[in-house]
Amino acid sequence: MAIGVKVMARPEREVSYVRATLKGMALTFKHMLQARVTMQYPEAKSTDDWRIATRWRGTHRMLTDEQGRSKCVACGLCPQICPANCIKLVPGEDEAGNRYPLIYEIDEFRCVFCGYCQEVCPEEAIHVGVHYENSEYSRDRFVYDLERLSAQTHPVSTLWDPSDPRGE
Amino acid sequence: MSNELVSVTIDGVLVQVPKGTTIIEAAKHAGVLIPHYCYHPSLPSPAVCRMCLVEVEKAPKLAPACVTAVAEGQVVHVDSPVAKEARKAVLEFLLINHPLDCPICDQSGECELQDFVFQEGRSGSRYGDYPKRYAPVEDFGRDILYVPNRCILCTRCVRFMDSVVGDPVLEVYERGDRAYIGIDTEQLLDHPWSGNVVDLCPVGSLLSKDFLHKARAWDLDKTASICPGCTQGCNMTIDTRDSVVVRLRPRPNLDVNRHFMCDTGRADYRWMNRGDRVEAPLRLEGGRLHACEWDTALARLAALVLAAEGSIVVLAGGRASCESIGWTLKLAGDTRRAAAMKVPLGAEAAIGNIPNLALRAERAANVEGARVLGMTASWTDAVAALRGAALAIVLDVELDDGDVNALNQVAQVVHFATVPEPRLQTVQLVLPVATMAEEQGVYVNCDRRAQRFLPARSAPGMARSAWWVASQGWARGGDNRSAPSTASEAFGALAPFAGLDYRDLGLTGRAIDVAVAGAVA
Repeated sequence: MAIGVKVMARPEREVSYVRATLKGMALTFKHMLQARVTMQYPEAKSTDDWRIATRWRGTHRMLTDEQGRSKCVACGLCPQICPANCIKLVPGEDEAGNRYPLIYEIDEFRCVFCGYCQEVCPEEAIHVGVHYENSEYSRDRFVYDLERLSAQTHPVSTLWDPSDPRGE
Repeated sequence: MSNELVSVTIDGVLVQVPKGTTIIEAAKHAGVLIPHYCYHPSLPSPAVCRMCLVEVEKAPKLAPACVTAVAEGQVVHVDSPVAKEARKAVLEFLLINHPLDCPICDQSGECELQDFVFQEGRSGSRYGDYPKRYAPVEDFGRDILYVPNRCILCTRCVRFMDSVVGDPVLEVYERGDRAYIGIDTEQLLDHPWSGNVVDLCPVGSLLSKDFLHKARAWDLDKTASICPGCTQGCNMTIDTRDSVVVRLRPRPNLDVNRHFMCDTGRADYRWMNRGDRVEAPLRLEGGRLHACEWDTALARLAALVLAAEGSIVVLAGGRASCESIGWTLKLAGDTRRAAAMKVPLGAEAAIGNIPNLALRAERAANVEGARVLGMTASWTDAVAALRGAALAIVLDVELDDGDVNALNQVAQVVHFATVPEPRLQTVQLVLPVATMAEEQGVYVNCDRRAQRFLPARSAPGMARSAWWVASQGWARGGDNRSAPSTASEAFGALAPFAGLDYRDLGLTGRAIDVAVAGAVA
């Protein structure tokens, strides 16, 4: 035939599937004996040879001082540097005359997790966190206010790999 | 300074400047900014900061550019290694005790110390853990705070209060590294022009309490404007943050206000941010005011003016621009009117040692403009003329009870309003207009200088410039009338300014030469 149709030679009587099944099972049992490469998430969140990178950039955390107040002085650098424009900051003055944020909100939906806010912060107050489980029941819960940012306890990002000096 | 010119070469650029010019000024002509702290063009130069040291060829040592006059054939190197090394050392001295509190400093972003250190300072400190001098923040009175830690002792504030204001309350106390700017005990920095020390301060040492912690310099949008506070017409910059006016600062204009602005003008911006604005045209229907389209409102405006039997009285507020006044008068018609501008009065406060610069007694920006345009009646005469008038046009006036009572005697009132005025009972039409911070326009100051101001924020809702509303109403009132399409056209169409447009005024204004008598539009 001009266009090269391949004509299959079909078996003319019934054949057994046992051989094919055994072949498949052999492959399965071979894997049972090999080392495990997956992890039982969410019961297990890290293993001995795998854990989330310390330079992971996830949802933010605001660090606090010894009195439990946020370290932020409302200098305005993070909303300025933020490429996604997701930080809302209104500066104010407390009773002692210190500058502090009246409103500090981060829209985590809008955030692109670049980590510039942490990098630019002169007070080492705002940090991106090593954290990735963020589900909520409503969208507005993703606008983190100052109280929530300060209450987060997850570790903060190192932004670069400490074991790789070239990273810094 | 004579008219004789001398040629100097500054960083390779040959410039010709009048004899007697200082190197720092000559360098501006050459496009070179010589870093400086104590020097200010409106103040005497003491050459104390040593920041403007430049290398002059054939001179034995570096010369301070702010006090060295240029000489014929002089060759100046601003960017030479020797000069840069000297300035770097000066900056290092300044930074020994300067706190690293830029994140909370109000000056950050417009700080000359930041700028010059970034430009040519050392990248690190050699002082390490050496403790910095500390002194608490002082309250200098009314609107000013002094942060001694940040002070670099340029003494601009001292010289301003002494030689410009003539009220020498500030002085440098102590000596050497203990020196600080002090104020006489029992005295306050409360002269009506003292707020200028905040702008003069190159660092964040003198701060305005009003602006404290309000906004960062890089958040601000700046718009050239004219202070509407009095007939002096100081040039100013409106600083807005997200369309909210946060600060007014002087804008240099050597012919009007040099580099200064009074505290009254500086503080008078809160009305620009008012939230209770009229946002849509309102017309009277069935005994109540209803919102309507501009087309409907303008047709009603034209009909009201045409139908007015007898006199029309125009009352204008002191912030009305020339365009608004001129076109409202044109709308009212040539023959039948009494027109006046409400001018609040206050005490005159001169700056002291600059001639012809004062906070004027007439606290309205455009008194002279109104006069030039033919608004010549006194306020009391115009209010008296309301009795028996057929129609009153109110152009954004702050009315007192007497004015309101007189207006309520008039059968019909058209209100060009920025804010609602519920006390007016016979209003037929309320037309939302922009404030001076939201429109372009021209004010004529007491010296007959026409000066432009630009819009700093957008007008709320449907509000438009008053000249647009008036000219559209006028155009609908007869055949063959076409309204101007731009503010510049609206300005040039007024008789006293015929042939001029905004480009002729520039951003520093221009003196106009017209006689009041021949100026009826």
